[in-house]
Amino acid sequence: MTMMYKIGIFDEEDKFISSIRMLQEQKVTIFDVFTPYPIHEVFHLLKRKSKLPTAAYFFGLFGIIATLGFLYYTSVIDWPIVYGGKPFNSFPSFIVVTIIITIFTVTILSLAAFSLRSKLFPGRENTIFDIRATDNRFVIVVNMDPNDKSLSENAEKVMQDNGAIEIVNKELENVKA
Amino acid sequence: MKNPRKNREKTDNLKIIARHHTKEEGIDNELLKILEADYLRRNSSRRDFLKLFGYTFASAAILSSCKRPVQNALPYADQPPEITPGKSLYYATTFYDGHEYAGIVVKTRDGRPIKIEGNALSDFNKEGTTARVQASVLSLYDDARLRNPSEDNKPGEWDIIDNKITRSLSEISSKGGEVVLLTSSINSPATKKLIGQFGGSYKKFRWVKYDPISYSAVIEANSICFGEALIPDYHFEEADMVVSVNADFLGTWIAPVHFIPGYTTRRKLTDGEQEMLRHIHFESGMSLTGSNADVRKKIRPSEEKNLFVDLYNRIAEKKGADKLPELTFKEDLSELADSLVATKGKSIVVSGTNIIDIQIIVNGINMLLGNYKECIDLNNNLNIAAGIDSEMENLVTDLNAGKISALIMYNVNPAYDYHDPGKFQSGLNNTELSVIMAVAHNETIENVKYVCPVPHYLESWDDAEVIPGQLSLRQPCINALFNTRSFQDSLLKWSGGTAKYFDYLKSVWEKEYFPRSGNSEFRNFWNQALRNGIFNYNIPAGKTFSFNSEALSRIKVLADNIAPGSFEIIITENVALGNGIYSNNPWLMELPDPVSRQCWENVASISISDADKLGIKTGTLIKIAEELTLPAFIQPGQADGTISVSLGYGHTDFGPVCNNIGINLYPFIRVIDGNLNYCFSTNKIENTLRENQLALTQVHYSMEGRPIVRETSLGKYKKDPSSGNETHKIFEEEHKSLYPEIEHKGFHWGLVIDLNLCVGCNSCVIACQAENNVPVVGKEEVVRRRIMHWIKIDRYYSDNTDNPKVYFQPLACQHCDNAPCENVCPVSATNHSSEGLNQVTYNRCIGTKYCLNNCPYKVRRFNWYRYTNNKKFDFNTSSDLGKMVLNPDVTVRERGVVEKCSFCVQRIQEKKLQAKLENRTLKDFEIKTACMQACPSGAIVFGNLNDPDSKVSKLFRDPRCYHLLEELHTLPNTGYLTKVRNDEILNS
Amino acid sequence: MYNRRIRGPLIEGNKTLGQITADVISPMEASPGLWWFIAFGISSMAALFGLYAIYITVTKGIGTWGVNNSVGWGWEIINFVWWIGIGHAGTAFSIFLLILRQRWRTSINRAAEAMTVLAVMAAAILPALHMGRVWLAFYIFPYPNTRGPLWVNFNSPLFWDFVAITAYLLISASFWYLGTLPDFATIRDKTTSKIKKAVYGFFSLGWTGSSRQWIRFESLSFVLGGIAAVLVVSVHSIVSTDFAVGVEPGWHTTLFPPYFVVGAIFSGFAMVMTLMVIIRKIYRFTDYVTDNHMDAIARILIFISLIMGTAYATEVFVAWYSGNEYEMFTFFHNRITGDYTIQFWGMVICNAIIPQLFWFRKIRRNWVGLLIISLVINLGMWFERFNIVITSLSKDFLPSNWVAYKPTIIDIGVYVGTIGIFACGVLLFIRYIPMMAISELKSVNRIGEKIED
Repeated sequence: MTMMYKIGIFDEEDKFISSIRMLQEQKVTIFDVFTPYPIHEVFHLLKRKSKLPTAAYFFGLFGIIATLGFLYYTSVIDWPIVYGGKPFNSFPSFIVVTIIITIFTVTILSLAAFSLRSKLFPGRENTIFDIRATDNRFVIVVNMDPNDKSLSENAEKVMQDNGAIEIVNKELENVKA
Repeated sequence: MKNPRKNREKTDNLKIIARHHTKEEGIDNELLKILEADYLRRNSSRRDFLKLFGYTFASAAILSSCKRPVQNALPYADQPPEITPGKSLYYATTFYDGHEYAGIVVKTRDGRPIKIEGNALSDFNKEGTTARVQASVLSLYDDARLRNPSEDNKPGEWDIIDNKITRSLSEISSKGGEVVLLTSSINSPATKKLIGQFGGSYKKFRWVKYDPISYSAVIEANSICFGEALIPDYHFEEADMVVSVNADFLGTWIAPVHFIPGYTTRRKLTDGEQEMLRHIHFESGMSLTGSNADVRKKIRPSEEKNLFVDLYNRIAEKKGADKLPELTFKEDLSELADSLVATKGKSIVVSGTNIIDIQIIVNGINMLLGNYKECIDLNNNLNIAAGIDSEMENLVTDLNAGKISALIMYNVNPAYDYHDPGKFQSGLNNTELSVIMAVAHNETIENVKYVCPVPHYLESWDDAEVIPGQLSLRQPCINALFNTRSFQDSLLKWSGGTAKYFDYLKSVWEKEYFPRSGNSEFRNFWNQALRNGIFNYNIPAGKTFSFNSEALSRIKVLADNIAPGSFEIIITENVALGNGIYSNNPWLMELPDPVSRQCWENVASISISDADKLGIKTGTLIKIAEELTLPAFIQPGQADGTISVSLGYGHTDFGPVCNNIGINLYPFIRVIDGNLNYCFSTNKIENTLRENQLALTQVHYSMEGRPIVRETSLGKYKKDPSSGNETHKIFEEEHKSLYPEIEHKGFHWGLVIDLNLCVGCNSCVIACQAENNVPVVGKEEVVRRRIMHWIKIDRYYSDNTDNPKVYFQPLACQHCDNAPCENVCPVSATNHSSEGLNQVTYNRCIGTKYCLNNCPYKVRRFNWYRYTNNKKFDFNTSSDLGKMVLNPDVTVRERGVVEKCSFCVQRIQEKKLQAKLENRTLKDFEIKTACMQACPSGAIVFGNLNDPDSKVSKLFRDPRCYHLLEELHTLPNTGYLTKVRNDEILNS
Repeated sequence: MYNRRIRGPLIEGNKTLGQITADVISPMEASPGLWWFIAFGISSMAALFGLYAIYITVTKGIGTWGVNNSVGWGWEIINFVWWIGIGHAGTAFSIFLLILRQRWRTSINRAAEAMTVLAVMAAAILPALHMGRVWLAFYIFPYPNTRGPLWVNFNSPLFWDFVAITAYLLISASFWYLGTLPDFATIRDKTTSKIKKAVYGFFSLGWTGSSRQWIRFESLSFVLGGIAAVLVVSVHSIVSTDFAVGVEPGWHTTLFPPYFVVGAIFSGFAMVMTLMVIIRKIYRFTDYVTDNHMDAIARILIFISLIMGTAYATEVFVAWYSGNEYEMFTFFHNRITGDYTIQFWGMVICNAIIPQLFWFRKIRRNWVGLLIISLVINLGMWFERFNIVITSLSKDFLPSNWVAYKPTIIDIGVYVGTIGIFACGVLLFIRYIPMMAISELKSVNRIGEKIED
């Protein structure tokens, strides 16, 4: 099924942000906003959060345990060999490898998680509401509820008032946020 | 015959037996074909190499197994019923090349001799060998060997050549022409007898023995003094004091392999021994012997006669004998004379000179000192060299006078090593018949009509009597590789007989020695003699020699042994190359001189102050006497105004390895009253200002005050055995470790080197090279410090560079229990065995060279290039024939891997397995590393450290024992025993 | 926190967002000009020379190098450490300054990171080449195999090294690539050429700049930044253990890890300076990479050079204070005096003394001065590595093993080759990838005008 979107385009960060504020006061559900650079205020307003740091912590934990386990298995259980008079389990010299492999694991897994959650991978084409969003425009996208005309109109009004340089309506295949 | 494989082998056997019994001489043409030149010229792949190997294994094995019983050559060890591939057989035989003798045992593997080892039953050399003896096995597989008889340098057939030779011989003798047999010294009773018979059949016959490096003066002096032309045996083991003047008896003079064991038994301080012989050495160049002396003094050759006359007179004074015409030496010799007299007949005075008069005085001195009782033995003389220079001189004159019609040469190369090659050549051209019998190609062959190749000594039958009553047999350890015939067989053939020399030899032994053996049956006697390789019988108590006093009075005015000149050039024998017959042996060519640590060419050793005067650096090319251009080598301890140069180099047509390398010094030898004189003088030393990169294997001489070789003097040692080694205890106590020490259950291998016994002869180096397939890398790589020797003998000088003390230290992998190298290998290619060995897995090595860097001893070697099947390194590992010497128990290393001493792990495993099969524990000394076995002085001891009674663990507890760089806490399994010098008195 | 009135703007000339995009992309739109082709030609010649040297090395063997049985490591290891050191700047830049919220980094970090990746790649060639049997390099992976399985030796610094370098290469590359996503998207949306659209579209992984992507982007770069910070410190510490774990005099010292890390950042920042001086000259990026930026780098360099000086002094002092005769010899007779004095004093002068000129504002503000000194520093760092690798090995414990080291033409070829490869990389980078993080520039464009929280 298709859906109607109202797209407000701003040329200044301040106008853009204030209009987000007012839209929220108006209980307009903002589908998403697009900006050329990250704006922390927006994250606050739209309550965007990322669990990546937490995930990364567990990746790390896994990395450490797995690595130490592997080192112990290979050099003590599977095939113990004496090097330069050291005992099989010469823990101090395992630390280095453990640190690095852990970092390695965290990186790989975090990257994977990132690309999965934010649907970014080679050849991926996400819906672009306005191509200038990556250059110098700030874009607000609002879902329009066909049943409730008033809401959408007053969304348009709000954006007008905040000096949107342009407002368009688009009908698009249902876009996943 | 349950096993089908065995069956097949047997049938193969039969085929091959059939094949070569149909041929005369039983030469295996199959083998020949493989070794044909064109086959060899091909740049063969590894596959070919294996193919060849496989074939040689099989055929050689089968041949020896089926051929040998025909001639009853019995192995030294218990012989298995047939050759089992992969099992070594040992044959006792005899090494004698006309210059050096040793009773040896040959290790053959699948029919190929691959290693020479000393024969423990031989009283002459005990189990010891020298580098040259060790390397002689490689000459068997020398590409320069003669493969077929030839006439006028065109390949010929034996029978045709034989007919021609016999015909012209009979013609000559009927015409009354003189037939001359020119050979190297020969000490085989059977051969001597045979030559006698051969000569008897001609009207005029002369047998001339010719030694390019001659001891003629010693022989003649003795015949003048005692009426017997001989070289006495010197019992260093009896002597308390040795005075040697330019006689390098530990390196080159007469029979080092015989003298070293005697000498070192009197230097041994282990097992409670407290006394040592004192060794005072006068010499010009720094020789191996000089560097082992307790006191070394510098002398110019021209000063020798003053020295001896002065010494003689001082002793004569004490002994109340009449003096010689007065001559005084530059230094005061009274102290020396006193201590010589004080030793009461327990001393030896020797001189390396070839001047008869001086040798007579030396005899006189020994006579006065009464040394002829115990220390110098005229009865049991040494049959090493018999050449009389004047005979050779006369021969050459007669040749030029056209008096000689036939010249038959055997094992000589006058075109190279006669002092006047041109004169010899012209003389040779006057002969009607000229025959040469040689193993390999040489310079003389070109101008000789008939060339009759003789087998290598490992392929032939013979005997030797090195000391009266000490006989040894030579037996073939492999079937003749080429179309050769032994010297003796040729003589038999030409004297018209049909007998084989083998039977002749046997009959001689049956007549001469069987009766003395007390053995009931000849067959048993013969087999036993063959098995042991030697047979000793006691000769009736020798006659007493009386000193002919005329001998001395005859000396009125001593002839100058050298023309006056600002510089005196001494021509010396090289420890590696000897008189030059081994120059084409890559192992010896790359063996660094023990003192100069330099190889691949001969250099002019010059003293430091002379070098400074002339503005010479090591490597500068200098021109001597306007005709001789050599790179200079600044030699600490070289007498001022002298230059030493070694022989053996400068071959022009001898083989690919040595051709046009270095300069041939033989033409510079002068003849003084009939004797070769190995020095000459000149005023002309010229700095050409040109440089030459020398192949030095060690560039820094000083120990930088580090406790590397720890030393003490005998006096201090007697007070405190651990003197000089005090730090050892301290380090042992201070050792701390983060980890508990690994303990080794069962075996824990260790090795101890007694620095007081090691004379630095380099025998171990070649033994190791032969045992472990160590490649030869050539001059350029040696220059780039990439020599591959697993064990090297470091040489250090004390800081007094004018006349330094010299220290030798054999250095191989120390097999540390806390090995720094193991810890850093990323792929665990090197790690520690449960028996304390530091092991390398070549297949696993990826060549990071980290281990090499992290070894404080720097004993690891890297394969910088592919050294096998590589045109760039065309030595034995790149020639199909040369590869036959490789030891199948040791991997040939690939390019890009690190290698090093393994404590001969293959030998350890072999013996362990044997003990296991025989269900017994290993005996001490049962396992011997190659270096230990080759060492003539018994300086190296290997064994199990876990066994408190083993020799090695006893030595580890010896107060003299220390470990190299022990402060690093690497816990080496190699120990060193401090060097003790007996130099309190006479120390000036 | 950042007060523009005190420190001046990060980006000068009141740019609009559109201008920023245009300015940064312009070099990629316009033809690069003759100088670029000449430079690229030269660099690729150098690279070819290098490839030839590598070919000889692999086919003939390491015997073609100057190394020998005492000095087992030569130029290749020196240059490896040198490159790795340079490869530290980018990450150090981005990470530390990111964590320290030093936002002036934004206009430099892209180039710095690119340089990092290229330098590490150049470095990675060398240890591989240094293997006697490089075709068996895979033995170093601890993978289950049919030889036992025989694992690797986890005690070996070389293995640590291998792991660290691999990880570092991957992480710095991905960190760098992550940063480029929004910019690729920008180009994708700006460009008119179909090919570019397709290519950059592909590499932008479908970036739209939605708030959801931005938040994850931010948090990921902080996660990566955080761990990469550890990595920056650990990687060169580990490289230093290649020596510190050894027993050789002059190697066996606990000072090495910090000493190497600081040295790495030193050479890295110097290289960044070299590149930035050139780039901003050529592309007139002075508005973005302002004199203040260069000034800031110069100040950092003074500071680090003081640390280096101290480190050198400490080394020598400890050698003397320990009373260890081998250490004493190495430092006093084989570095301060002896055959290798040029390298030792070259190191001291180039790294500890000359950078002190940065105390003068005039020099900090003069691009010629900056260029020369930054080059001098990298020379000095090369000398330092030479000192460590060669002098210790050439004369260590047993005088009988002492030898001199001389590089061959092949050694030089390999070095020149790596430089060529690096230069080619840089040139391609400035041609096809935005030299500055556009989105980040935009985010700091107005910074400081209104006081941020």
